[in-house]
Amino acid sequence: MAKAQYPNPKFWKAKDNIDWKKQGENLKEVVGIFGEMLKEVDWKAFGEKTLNDFKADGERIKGEYRDFMALDSAEKWDRVVNGERSLGRLYRKGAMATVRREWRGVKDTAYDFWEWARMWGMLLMTFSKDLIPAMNSALWYRWMISYFCCHGFMDKNILGLRGSNLRISHAATYSIFRYVAENLVFLSKADRKNGNSTELNKMLFTFDEMTMGQIAAGFPDLLAIPHQLLPMFLVSEIDQLVCIPYIDAVESYGLPSDTCPVPSSECGALVIDALPDMGSLFISSSMPCDGSTMASSYFARRFPNIPVFHLCFPVRYLDEETVQMGADDIKACIKAIEDATGAKWNWDHYFECMKRFNQETDLELQKWEINKSARPQFIGPSYELFRKWNYEMDGGIDPRVLPEMQKMNRMLLKAYENNETAWPERKMKYRALVWSCPAHYYANFSNWLANCWGIDILVEMESLNYTKHLETEDKEEALRDLARLYERMVMRRHTNGGYQNVVDECWRQCEAWNAKLIIMYQNVACKNMATVQGLLDEQGRQRGYDLIWVEHDLMDPRTVSRRTMRDKVNEYMRTVMRAEPVDPSLVEFEDEVCM
Amino acid sequence: MKDLKHLIYFENLLENADNELIEKKKAEGNICLGYTCFHIPEVLLNVDRCFSTRLRAPNTGSIDIATYYMSNYTCEYARALLERAIEGGYQFLDALIGVDACSMMNRSMEHFEILQVNSNPNFFVTHTDMPFKITDYTVEGYRRQMRVRVLDRLTEVFGVDTSDAAIRKAVEEHNEVCRIISEISQMRKAENPVITGYEFHVLNLVTYVCPKSEILPYLQETLEELKTRKPDKKSPFRARVAIVGSEIDDPSLTKLIEGAGALVVSDRYCFGSTPGREVIELNDEEDALTQICRHYMEVSECARYISDEKVLQRRETSDRLAKEFGAEGIIYEQMKYCDYWGFERALVSHIMHDEYGWPVLSIDRLYNNGNSGQLRTRVQAFVESLEIKRIHKEEGKA
Repeated sequence: MAKAQYPNPKFWKAKDNIDWKKQGENLKEVVGIFGEMLKEVDWKAFGEKTLNDFKADGERIKGEYRDFMALDSAEKWDRVVNGERSLGRLYRKGAMATVRREWRGVKDTAYDFWEWARMWGMLLMTFSKDLIPAMNSALWYRWMISYFCCHGFMDKNILGLRGSNLRISHAATYSIFRYVAENLVFLSKADRKNGNSTELNKMLFTFDEMTMGQIAAGFPDLLAIPHQLLPMFLVSEIDQLVCIPYIDAVESYGLPSDTCPVPSSECGALVIDALPDMGSLFISSSMPCDGSTMASSYFARRFPNIPVFHLCFPVRYLDEETVQMGADDIKACIKAIEDATGAKWNWDHYFECMKRFNQETDLELQKWEINKSARPQFIGPSYELFRKWNYEMDGGIDPRVLPEMQKMNRMLLKAYENNETAWPERKMKYRALVWSCPAHYYANFSNWLANCWGIDILVEMESLNYTKHLETEDKEEALRDLARLYERMVMRRHTNGGYQNVVDECWRQCEAWNAKLIIMYQNVACKNMATVQGLLDEQGRQRGYDLIWVEHDLMDPRTVSRRTMRDKVNEYMRTVMRAEPVDPSLVEFEDEVCM
Repeated sequence: MKDLKHLIYFENLLENADNELIEKKKAEGNICLGYTCFHIPEVLLNVDRCFSTRLRAPNTGSIDIATYYMSNYTCEYARALLERAIEGGYQFLDALIGVDACSMMNRSMEHFEILQVNSNPNFFVTHTDMPFKITDYTVEGYRRQMRVRVLDRLTEVFGVDTSDAAIRKAVEEHNEVCRIISEISQMRKAENPVITGYEFHVLNLVTYVCPKSEILPYLQETLEELKTRKPDKKSPFRARVAIVGSEIDDPSLTKLIEGAGALVVSDRYCFGSTPGREVIELNDEEDALTQICRHYMEVSECARYISDEKVLQRRETSDRLAKEFGAEGIIYEQMKYCDYWGFERALVSHIMHDEYGWPVLSIDRLYNNGNSGQLRTRVQAFVESLEIKRIHKEEGKA
């Protein structure tokens, strides 16, 4: 039997029905906006800035040369072989990107460049499968523009990495980017404003961005896309400024500014019609927080043509009394998908995917075992993102991912056996955990922590989810297991179901990972976490942990900037830990508008 | 109008969470059960020797300690309760019946347990799960939660009779209160009502916080009094408004609104009479508990229900009440930091205006803000806009 192709080729082949007149009108509007922008440009100031940038580049190159020449021959050799050490000089005030790529030493720079080229190749090949709607999305949605900077995102997540951790991080990033690229193309094809593929929309259902994707495993003939994940959730990690217009839009509409920026951004995008109109059904869910739960009514109002199924799981998920209700809701959801699309639930395919997901979970646990040891191997932002993506969105559905994960684990084990370290030795000073949700606009904060202070984030709260094998034989129990899994979606596993899941769990994990330092994120709009702030603070002190509270506003860097986040750590490390930075050039630098 | 005979008495009952009727009932050996959320069927907490009191934190001042535990960006009601609990203000409770419907209230109740704010030997806090939509299986899930997490716990700890017969008996008494409040509520439909929004708010609140058997005689007497009460010849109010939104347990807010010239004729908010004071009709074919659970789910107007039919129900109810009670505008309000009502208010205040044609004032507010000058100014401006609309209408301009 021929091996099934993934994604299903009929998704690519689905015919587009582009309304060219509508595209023409939109193009006219976009050209008008660009025209106005160009008229408003202060060309004199622009010229001065460009000149100053050239001068600054000249100064920087001179400075770098001078510094290099001041080194003794052993240090020079070290820089050539192992790469540069002052990463702060990659940033420039007012620049949206780093001034250049990092020099990682001959071998790792060559490898990094190879991965850079491989990524470009994959992106170009994927987008070329249906280029027009995909490119046209950039004329409809400003968030789409931010995806042009995805290589920059890859770079910032691997800043300072060398050796195996660099290689595994690249492998992880590749899997995620492929998923993103493919779904961006599908999204553009299906969007009724753009590709308008009726054929694809019949095969497509979408779901809330925090909702897990595993339910799609039972529908091999259907395409399932998390509706807001690509337009809002993920892109906010790529570009720190991308959500601001959407947040402003919904706050102008009347939403209080104290709500979580995730649903706020999504609702803002809905208010100004910046989400694609696609799919035969939308599945909303009772997500990690009260605010996220409420966003579905905004969706229903913007897209009255798309029926909404509300997948509502019990909040007190540890109470086994509630599990059946969750399983019954999954059954109802499956029926809703069948009714909306005409497809039929396929148990064989579901079990096949869940067997794969169970294997992937085992591989994840293997990573944890190694990272719990004295020689953690695969840590950093790429891993953090990969874990969440694999758990929530891939969920064993894409057959290409398991072999990639197996390869990653082989590299991991080899690195462990070879006594490698995740970061260069000087950056392995403090074992730490991240608790609560990290700032999207500073997705590589853990990278900075290691590069600047030698704080190594072994794992973050959002990675520590359901690790039991899912049932793959008994159908009723399989649904109950799926309910258990969904109830423990990223963030929800900790923020719902009682304080034990976030407070007691924190101390349990600190012990398991042998971490004394905790980066305690404080999303100023996250009420589920804010309401245990005192308990965490009090109990953390009693237990002798070092808690560094870092405020942020998740997707809105105007409230708490990246710099302010860094300052909190700098202050704690200097005053409480009396530590010296590993890389002093990273203590103070400007990245207010840097993606 | 002549003052209501028991108004000051009722107001005094609201001055403290622990009032004299609660003390009296407790002295007789009854069990006092605290709750906050509509999702806990009040009537189930009035079975056998139990009586319910819906928790408030009247005259809240500083909430600094609760803010330390729960931060300053969270619901003030939840924090005020915790602060009062830490102060020892809920020592009179025998148990706290919680529902994990909104995270902030749930956390507040968890702190009751963790910080051990009540030293009664049998005191317990129970947490129940509440569905987000109405289907057969969610009604069953809800019923099971109420049975296992509430009624069985009461039997286990206090030896309370929670049989079907005991529940039906509690429903009878509950319905008696509801009938009186509903009859009084209807009086607000009159062009020049014999009761103000403030007086109704006070009356309704005492039914939530006092033991039903103790408050009933006063309510009956007040109802009779109202039947013969003469309104002022000319209503002192300049407009009629309906209030829709989240928790209001502070009658001074209604007083503030009425002080600004807007008679509050409908109270569609948590702690209001809609929902909460509907008679529960029971049949003999099905067990009482299931019927009660279904009733509470169906009449609930909580923004937490996200299914399409409940979303629509909330808008329709607001529209219906405003029409039935002759309101000229709707005040959509939310407790500051309430996520459910924050999202609901922002969207529906537009919908009620754009699609239902209502003038809407959209506000967020603190827990205690009977003296808020800013709020008074906003209500005054709203009243003026309603008056202008009325003038235009009379002149045929609108």
